[in-house]
Amino acid sequence: MLLVVPHPVALADEPLYKVEGGNKVDKATLEGWRTWRALACERCHGPKQEGLVGPSLLESLRRLTKDEFKETLMKGRPEKGMPNFDGSKMVTENLDGLYAYLKGRSDGAIQPGRLEELK
Amino acid sequence: MAAKFAYTTALLGCALIPSAFANDDVLKQTGNARQWAMQAGNMQNQRYSGLKQITKDNVKNLRVAWTFSTGVLRGHEGGPLVIGDMLYIHSPFPNKVFAIGLEDQQIKWKYEPKQDPTVIPVMCCDTVNRGLAYAEGKIFLQQADTTLVALDAKTGKELWKVKNGDPKKGETNTNAPHIFKNKVFTGISGGEFGVRGFVAAYDINTGKLAWKGYSTGPDNEMLIDPGKTMTWTDGKMAPVGADSSLKTWQGDQWKIGGGTTWGWYSYDPKLNLMYYGSGNPSTWNPVQRPGDNKWSMTIWARDVDSGQVKWVYQMTPHDEWDFDGVNEMILADGVNVKGKPRNVLVHFDRNGFAYTLDRATGELLVAEKYDPAVNWATHVDMKTGRPQVVAKYSTQANGQDVNSKGVCPAALGSKDQQPAAFNPANKHFYVPTNHVCMDYEPFKVEYSAGQPYVGATLSMYPAPGSHGGMGNFIVWDAGAGKIVQSKAEKFSVWSGALVTAGGVACYGTLEGYVKCVDANDINKELYKFKTPSGIIGNLNTWEYKGKQYIGVLSGIGGWAGIGMAAGLEKDTDGLGAVGGYKELNKYTQLGGVLTVFALP
Repeated sequence: MLLVVPHPVALADEPLYKVEGGNKVDKATLEGWRTWRALACERCHGPKQEGLVGPSLLESLRRLTKDEFKETLMKGRPEKGMPNFDGSKMVTENLDGLYAYLKGRSDGAIQPGRLEELK
Repeated sequence: MAAKFAYTTALLGCALIPSAFANDDVLKQTGNARQWAMQAGNMQNQRYSGLKQITKDNVKNLRVAWTFSTGVLRGHEGGPLVIGDMLYIHSPFPNKVFAIGLEDQQIKWKYEPKQDPTVIPVMCCDTVNRGLAYAEGKIFLQQADTTLVALDAKTGKELWKVKNGDPKKGETNTNAPHIFKNKVFTGISGGEFGVRGFVAAYDINTGKLAWKGYSTGPDNEMLIDPGKTMTWTDGKMAPVGADSSLKTWQGDQWKIGGGTTWGWYSYDPKLNLMYYGSGNPSTWNPVQRPGDNKWSMTIWARDVDSGQVKWVYQMTPHDEWDFDGVNEMILADGVNVKGKPRNVLVHFDRNGFAYTLDRATGELLVAEKYDPAVNWATHVDMKTGRPQVVAKYSTQANGQDVNSKGVCPAALGSKDQQPAAFNPANKHFYVPTNHVCMDYEPFKVEYSAGQPYVGATLSMYPAPGSHGGMGNFIVWDAGAGKIVQSKAEKFSVWSGALVTAGGVACYGTLEGYVKCVDANDINKELYKFKTPSGIIGNLNTWEYKGKQYIGVLSGIGGWAGIGMAAGLEKDTDGLGAVGGYKELNKYTQLGGVLTVFALP
């Protein structure tokens, strides 16, 4: 099994996400995917994050810093149709996992679709 | 004293002008075939015109007479109204309104409401608007942010406006307002945000709320009389009984239970009843809401004056597939049902069954599939009125986090809101349909006000083992419950149809074609023209200075245009689904344009 671990961010020892076989991920990343699914993000960003009415997150996650990502989620971009998710408990509790999941998708390390927990 | 004086005056007013109701005006306007004064052409939702200058013999000569850009992208649904020498057209968010003089095509006035852009994401994923209404010199606009506004039809001046809902709770509007009698009727969208559906009636002159009837909850809030409101029960009509909605929900789920009301309503002036459908129960995960979830997915008949419910019929108890019941209710007279002419209500539901009911009593007469691909139920039991669900397509039985595959139709329905037309000449219905199936995986979700409350991932694709396309234009016999003719289309036919006394039926396609066919043989395509963008608007017709015109909005968008597909298990899965609508990119781009046709 190929274990993909991205470059560590800053000085942190822990990788952003752990993934095996493209569809088994660590708990936090799994919760990130579940958050993506529950908030119906695919309606705008596409089932594979490739973009529909909303932009491709495969592209955006290469550009946005983690802080910019969080700010976009919390404040939204209403004029472009992006909601503010600061009212969603699921999003606020899983922001790091959601970032990790989308970063993993953008890196090409995580497959689209259903994920399982890496034991 | 003052009260007594007012009472006397009111009585006098009544005596002097006993029938001075607004519907007299709308009836008069819609009775004139040279105009198109309601979105569906008339109160019966028939989308039929008595004009016959354009015929099946000369329609091939149609030319573009003029065009008009709305300056707005995204999905353009609905169509133009024509009253006198003015044409009124709307746009998706920001919901611009233009009054255009037919003589010189000049913009006589323009209205653009100021709306908080935070409403856009709550409409995710498209900001459609299904058009304007007209009565007594007023134009009515139902804005996305739920503001209902009355404008002076001559000047565009605001006369009154009223808030119909709260976007912070996920409440928005996409429906056209409807005028029956002296009231303007509107509904609410947001079934994917846990909104509790209702229909509201406002006074056309003041905007004052006359009544509001919810789709779910206590009897008094639905305006249901347990002893008098009837429903199809064991082969006959019987009273619904007390707490008919509350008994079919667990706990307080009905408060966020959906049953929204964004379709096309109709009205029978003789019965004084209005008809409409309520949408899906919330969430899309059926496991979270045990019970029949009444009265979501229901055909409603209400008294227009009081809002009291005369009868109800629930088509899809305990929905497991998002088969919204909002599609239009078409009223037709003299339809032959089992050898007897009946005055009926005909409804092509998202669930793939077409229903014919006695519109006075609510009696169920016919319920048959209008697309042979429909597989989630074998048939509707005519005694109980309930669909007989096939176990392997039951997303409830298969459970949460299980992907139920090959369900037909898809959540888009065998037909969505795109309205059908009725041809009184042969009593047949001309129906724009979808030919799409899906995989559906429900999962647990928690409700948070104003946040999406969907709870299922879907993947959609053309109906397998068929012609490979995603749509059909069909002719339907509502008395027999049979398809008379079917014409295959590459994409879903997401445009409202038009039938005329000239013997032609016209519709638009997602690629952007306006097509006119022989109403007696729809496989005879007589005219085809490529408009600037995909068509999800409805074709309307009118006459000005002796010439018949046909007008349609193009502007791809809406659910079909977005090409929703999700829930892929592996990277390669569902490529057919995504590929299906994605191929639209080869044909069309965004952009709202009204195209008007006439003979040379």
